[in-house]
Amino acid sequence: MSMLNSAPLTRAWIILIALSALSAVAAGLVDAGIDRRIMGGVVLMLALLKARVILSRYLGLWRAPSWRRGFNLSLTAFCLTLLGLYLAAGNT
Amino acid sequence: MTSQDPPLFEDLPGDLLMWVLIISELLIFGAGLVAFLSVRLTDPAGFAEAQAHLHRTGAAMNTIVLISSGYLAARALEWRIALRRRAARLALVAAAALGCVFLFIKGMEYADKAAQGINWETHPFFLFYYMLTGFHAAHVIAGILLLLLIAWRDSVENIELGAAFWHMVDLVWVLLFPVVYLLA
Repeated sequence: MSMLNSAPLTRAWIILIALSALSAVAAGLVDAGIDRRIMGGVVLMLALLKARVILSRYLGLWRAPSWRRGFNLSLTAFCLTLLGLYLAAGNT
Repeated sequence: MTSQDPPLFEDLPGDLLMWVLIISELLIFGAGLVAFLSVRLTDPAGFAEAQAHLHRTGAAMNTIVLISSGYLAARALEWRIALRRRAARLALVAAAALGCVFLFIKGMEYADKAAQGINWETHPFFLFYYMLTGFHAAHVIAGILLLLLIAWRDSVENIELGAAFWHMVDLVWVLLFPVVYLLA
């Protein structure tokens, strides 16, 4: 039974840890002088990727591709809204 | 739709009502985050200054704690299906313990703000900060109780339901954390 193969779950956990570490590094790069707008986009993209992994592997949506697609589209639209609001504040 | 197509909701893993709850919670927290960034438009400099008082490292550690806890909850379901009840129960208790670690770190963060004389009236940023993180922490408390309950009443259905709630708490945090703590 494929559901009992724990390798994808462990891989998902490792990916989540790696994405979290990348978020921390990206946020730290702002202090090093990297453009806030770019880093804001990177941080939100990493959050979106983490959310997709949780939905797909932890919550099991990999077994329901149409639902996973719907959630991914909604989350992408949501993150783009957040990015738009963030950029609209005129960060420099 | 052909006669061979399965009904729409049959595809969805776990209990339909849990998915209704997950979507409702995502909408509530999503609206909160949109409101947070909308109010930030009125005073981006003030929000950035207020955010500098937050402890990013502690919050980043909490992200690791929650996603590891979620991993244990997901493994518990696999183990229970494989009839490894003891392993599943231990994983659920460990997941709940990590939830307590999350609350401990969050409590230290709140205590630090209080020591600095910061409260929800200090700046609109902190009103959102306390509302969003406090509401999330309340879900963590509910999740811990649920994890312990399903470790006791450990049917596959119960574990699937309780773990799904815990993953929702996890999902909300990975969206909340970057917006409140990282987007300066």
